Amino acid sequence: MSAVLFVFDVMLLVGIGGVAWHCLTSTDLFRAVVLFIALGLLLSMAWVRLEAPDIALAEAAIGAGVTGALLLITLERLKHLEALSPTGRDPEHSTGSSAGRALLSGVVIALVGALGLLLIRALLAQPGQAGLQPLVDAQMHRSGVDNPVTGVLLNFRAYDTFLELAVIVLALLGAWSLGRHESVPARPVPGPMLPGILRFLTPVAIVTGVYLLWAGTHGPGGAFQAGAVLAAAGILIVLGRPRRLPIAPDQPLRLGLVAGVALFLGVGVHGLLFGPGFMGYVEPWAYWLILAIEVAATLSIALALVALFIGGRPHEEDR
Amino acid sequence: MIADLLTVVLVVAGLAFFAAGTVGVLRFPDVYTRLHALTKADNLGLGLVIAGLLFQADGATGVLGLLLVWALVLASGTVVAHLIAQRTRTHGAFESADREPATRDPEEGGG
Repeated sequence: MSAVLFVFDVMLLVGIGGVAWHCLTSTDLFRAVVLFIALGLLLSMAWVRLEAPDIALAEAAIGAGVTGALLLITLERLKHLEALSPTGRDPEHSTGSSAGRALLSGVVIALVGALGLLLIRALLAQPGQAGLQPLVDAQMHRSGVDNPVTGVLLNFRAYDTFLELAVIVLALLGAWSLGRHESVPARPVPGPMLPGILRFLTPVAIVTGVYLLWAGTHGPGGAFQAGAVLAAAGILIVLGRPRRLPIAPDQPLRLGLVAGVALFLGVGVHGLLFGPGFMGYVEPWAYWLILAIEVAATLSIALALVALFIGGRPHEEDR
Repeated sequence: MIADLLTVVLVVAGLAFFAAGTVGVLRFPDVYTRLHALTKADNLGLGLVIAGLLFQADGATGVLGLLLVWALVLASGTVVAHLIAQRTRTHGAFESADREPATRDPEEGGG
């Protein structure tokens, strides 16, 4: 059995390397995006083999699914922009002479090789029982949750997770600062298939998202996975909208977008004033605080990912 | 024992459909025939694999979970195939300009 798994692992590694190489070297953007999505699925399989189902779920939902949708819509918009200004691009964007380019690639190859050697040395130098598993296991009873991954993400290393949430909001602010999105008119797709599958999949996605959120306290799941599944449902609705999308009310939308970060920061400051320190929990409330943060973060992540897909801040005059 | 045997037979039959579907995607000349090959792998291949795994599931929740996986893949696969075929009919094939017929996609063999 282990021989079969070994062969499978080697095939998986070769597949990941091959797909990554083709994705980077492809000159056709559409092809590169499709390969990137395939790479995300293979990577999530690798996480399953490393017995990290939480990361596998997040990679499949965010890395392959939502990011793939974002890249595809970007490609569509790029095509639209190029059609508007066909003379704007200079395909032969070479810098310097061929000798200079050869020198540059030599330097880059040398740097990459040195980095690779250093990484391999660091791997070999690791002591046998490296890792924080015993430490986490010893402190789990104080974390307020049963799943070690959630315990690490939302308690022991809450600061990192807080910054991850903040990065998503920052990305959306960046997208919004670039301009307003045009109003989203009806986009009827001929045939009954897309509306039918929307009616079928949207409730399934909502149930799955809430389940993933709830499961996070004791098993694989959590705010990022749940938010990504809900966002996927939202993106499907945006894509298959049978009529003009309603404009989201401005204040509730903005409040929902920052709810996760704001609540997380509030709880962190509360820990600083009354508890063990910044981003720490007052122990008897840890479970409820974590649950509240997860719910708010799920809402914010889902809203932010759909807003990123639509792109641009909401139109003021449309309302 | 008999359950294990049934599992092996059904899963191998499913894998045969996946293999045939993959060969079809790589070798068939246009979008429609490729979709035809792909959906056979999705529907029958996955269906047979799931049917085989049903004998190894523990309890009713395991059985229901496997059936749910099959139903979801079936539903989404059908709709995606339909949408790709429809778009190809109205807009033409994706990247038709620079896709030479001998192009082979190495990524579709894995997994």
